[in-house]
Amino acid sequence: MQQVMEIANSNVIWLFASLVITMVFIQGVIFIKLATNAGKSLGMTNSEVSSALKTGAISSIGPSLGIMVVAISLITFLGDPLTLMRIGIIGSAPIEALGASLGANAYGVDLGAENFSPQALTTVVWVLCLGGAGGLFVVATFTKSMGKMEKKIIAKKGDGKIMIVVTTAAMIGAFSFLASGEMIKGSIHTMVGFASGITMMGIVLISNKFQIRWLKEWSLGLAIVSGLFFGYIII
Amino acid sequence: MEGVKKEDTTILPSSENMEFYYKRAHFWGRTSIWIVIILSLLLPLYLSFILGYHPGWKPIIAGYLAYAALMGLAWTMEPVMYYPTLGTSGTYLAFLTGNISNMCLPSAAAAQNSVGAEPGTKKGEIAATLGIGAASLVNIAILLPIIFLGSYLLSILPETIYKMFEFILPAIFGGIVGQFAIKKPLFGVVGIVTALSIHLLAPAALQNIFVSLLVTITLCVYLNSKLPQNG
Repeated sequence: MQQVMEIANSNVIWLFASLVITMVFIQGVIFIKLATNAGKSLGMTNSEVSSALKTGAISSIGPSLGIMVVAISLITFLGDPLTLMRIGIIGSAPIEALGASLGANAYGVDLGAENFSPQALTTVVWVLCLGGAGGLFVVATFTKSMGKMEKKIIAKKGDGKIMIVVTTAAMIGAFSFLASGEMIKGSIHTMVGFASGITMMGIVLISNKFQIRWLKEWSLGLAIVSGLFFGYIII
Repeated sequence: MEGVKKEDTTILPSSENMEFYYKRAHFWGRTSIWIVIILSLLLPLYLSFILGYHPGWKPIIAGYLAYAALMGLAWTMEPVMYYPTLGTSGTYLAFLTGNISNMCLPSAAAAQNSVGAEPGTKKGEIAATLGIGAASLVNIAILLPIIFLGSYLLSILPETIYKMFEFILPAIFGGIVGQFAIKKPLFGVVGIVTALSIHLLAPAALQNIFVSLLVTITLCVYLNSKLPQNG
């Protein structure tokens, strides 16, 4: 175990992790720049652009804290740089945790067990990296064709109205599924979800009625805090 | 509300600018993703053959197959499924950033809401891209110090606060469902009823997000054409 952690926290792995994170960072900056310019040509005002940015930033605080908890629980098994590179960024916490234990099991050990050898760690890294690369490959290869397909559908239907219905329904479908998947875990989960949802409805109503933009920007953050606070009271 | 909708769907004279935008987005999106794919493959190769800890191909293939059996559908379907919502640039961003359902999508939806853009429009795509881009940077900014201080921080947090982290996911998802449900109550009801019945009643093989999405979209498109005043 000792030897494994020395490898897992070695400089070369830190180097790989830093390169990956730098790439994610640069990509974020480039796309924000591109989208800001494109937004202006669509007639978005400066304040709308900064509002979208601010909202994204604020809304990610809660999720990032959630990610951090899973990340930290895996540091003991995978070391700092691998955890940072696979769970914090690129992957998603629960799925990478699953992949890590599958990789360890394939080598015949458990994550964090006494006999978790450098070879077991290497197996885990292979499984996680190949897995992540698979999804990225699909995105790099097919995103362009999906754009072309979308254009064709819109051209056929005359306007984008049907796309709006489909995508709105898709969003609601996805989040309803994720939310109810959490809620069936227990009554506190259910009540936290409802408290957050109802808070959000209230915030949307109020901020629309009085045109309070900052309230909209903080809406998801406030809804999460309110849901958690409610859970804290009843727990 | 009507005015906003119209503005979103009109083809603007700036379509050339958008054309240019997509070209750049494809170029940077693909370049950055390929670099990360190559880095992801170099790392295990380094561990195996430079450091000499190669475990043999058998466990690697066995582990990968087990993982792919569980996740393969998601790897291929997720980009397609989320594409209409994330758009071109959002897809490149979200898949490299990771944590799509628990961070990128909620941030995109909140950003669209803050500027009153519908998902599925050009303005919606730009708002989503800005939202995810900002989320990605904040995520890095939060995670870096926490990875360095992580275990220490967790050890000084009070037990009750630590326990609350378990409920972050239902709080995120509940909030976003609320955001949509208040805008489109009919869709909200359809979505929740569909999802709950799939979770509680459907056989295990059908208990996945793809079935839920398909049923919700079909029902919403159908109901929307029957009851345009609710759409």
